[in-house]
Amino acid sequence: MPYQIPIGPFHPALEEPYKLSFNCVADTVDKVSVDVGFSFRGIEILAQKREWLPAITLVERVCGICSNVHATSFCMAAERIAGIEIPKRAQYIRTIMGELERMHSHLLWAGLAAEFMGYETAFMEVFNLRETIMDMLESISGNRVNYGMNRIGGVNRDIPDPLQYVSTLETAAKTLEKVVIPAFMDNPTARSRMGGVGILTKEDAIAWGTVGPVARASGLAIDVRSDLPYLAYEELGFRIVTQESCDVQARVVVRALELLESIRLIIAALKGLPAGPLRAFEGLPTIPAGEATTYCEAPRGEVFYYVASDGSDKPARVRIRTPSFVNIPALEAMMPGQQFANTSLIQASVDPCLSCTDR
Amino acid sequence: MASETDLNMNALRERLESLRGATSFEERCDGVWMEAPDLDVEAMMREMNAEGFRLATMTGRQAPEGETTIMYHFNRGPHLLHFKTRSHGGSHPSLALVSHPASWCERELHDFFAVKFDGHPNLVPLFRPACLNEGFFRDDITPENGPENGPEASQA
Repeated sequence: MPYQIPIGPFHPALEEPYKLSFNCVADTVDKVSVDVGFSFRGIEILAQKREWLPAITLVERVCGICSNVHATSFCMAAERIAGIEIPKRAQYIRTIMGELERMHSHLLWAGLAAEFMGYETAFMEVFNLRETIMDMLESISGNRVNYGMNRIGGVNRDIPDPLQYVSTLETAAKTLEKVVIPAFMDNPTARSRMGGVGILTKEDAIAWGTVGPVARASGLAIDVRSDLPYLAYEELGFRIVTQESCDVQARVVVRALELLESIRLIIAALKGLPAGPLRAFEGLPTIPAGEATTYCEAPRGEVFYYVASDGSDKPARVRIRTPSFVNIPALEAMMPGQQFANTSLIQASVDPCLSCTDR
Repeated sequence: MASETDLNMNALRERLESLRGATSFEERCDGVWMEAPDLDVEAMMREMNAEGFRLATMTGRQAPEGETTIMYHFNRGPHLLHFKTRSHGGSHPSLALVSHPASWCERELHDFFAVKFDGHPNLVPLFRPACLNEGFFRDDITPENGPENGPEASQA
């Protein structure tokens, strides 16, 4: 007999609130619908009531995990309106911060996914590795989250001794290759939990407008770092990662291989960090009337900002579209036909961020 | 999805300029912007789907006389297209039945700017708390002048 199971908005595993309403037959999901908006904060309209500088601090709070990319995107949009070109060194530092943030996000996700599978050993290994990345972020910015590195026209802090981080990153790459990636890709129990589960076909990935690792795990070669290279990605030679199996395992593999690519990019950027100033100008920015959009690749996928200025000291409009806003609805395409017991893992494979989605 | 080499931007531009309501076409550093206050959005969507463009999102901005400027942002690889149109009488045609990503965007614009998307199958609040009126991003709708836009109205 068909039955319904409402899950959420408050979950035993996920700290953020959203609601999934399942229609099931026996232990198989027939249909699911998603409800969000339980932690709406109105950041877009609040940003329009703040001056340009505090607006950066505000948008950095859109997400506790990918905070840096929001500040970067907002600053890039403002710089585009004002015709400001930031110095090369600032571009590289923004790139390093963006990739360290991606590592910390992907490792957090991998650890939680391992925990959802009951794979405590992998969880401990991943979180141990994540700590080294968090330490690096703290060493550079002074903070473990909400780094405060971006300003309109450049960055606030330098990386005075960039080579000190290289050996730690090389060790992290070895740990990834020898411990973390095999734990997910070679372990037969992990493979059986993830293989063929939560399929999102390439056609569905396009139809639902998915982005980031979710799209790339369904064979879509889309990544802002290669499609619309920004900051130092073109110079560093970014290599996109895709998979074709369209399941939970493919989403794991994409993120795992992206971790290695992030390490390669960070090391290249640290070794090639150009000399020069950190910012295009000192003091407060003047943003003339105009409008601009920016795309950046956050850990979960493409982030979009539309920023408009009327020439005053506050943004006239700030529009933020986060990757989870388009990836979470695609759960409606991944769940039908799946065993109900697998739905927590499928949700985790999207790496849903409700803080981002609700803003 | 069509490959990058298949895209002929000049031919696409000609077709887009022939869409009903198109008034201007401008190349900027963040892509091509088309202004079309009376845009045939369904025809726009057909052209974008045919060329493999993805609807990234929609943006709303308050316009005079209770209307809303509505922007559609599309991308395909390095190609970015932005369409700028506006609501009429507070309403606008929905694309939710032909585009999954449009559905949440339209519900969000309904919450923030009180745009009524004609034909949306489920235009219920996405983010709007029950204590706020539709269009709470607008400064021309207040609890005093817009009681018909309150939470009860959306449930009716």
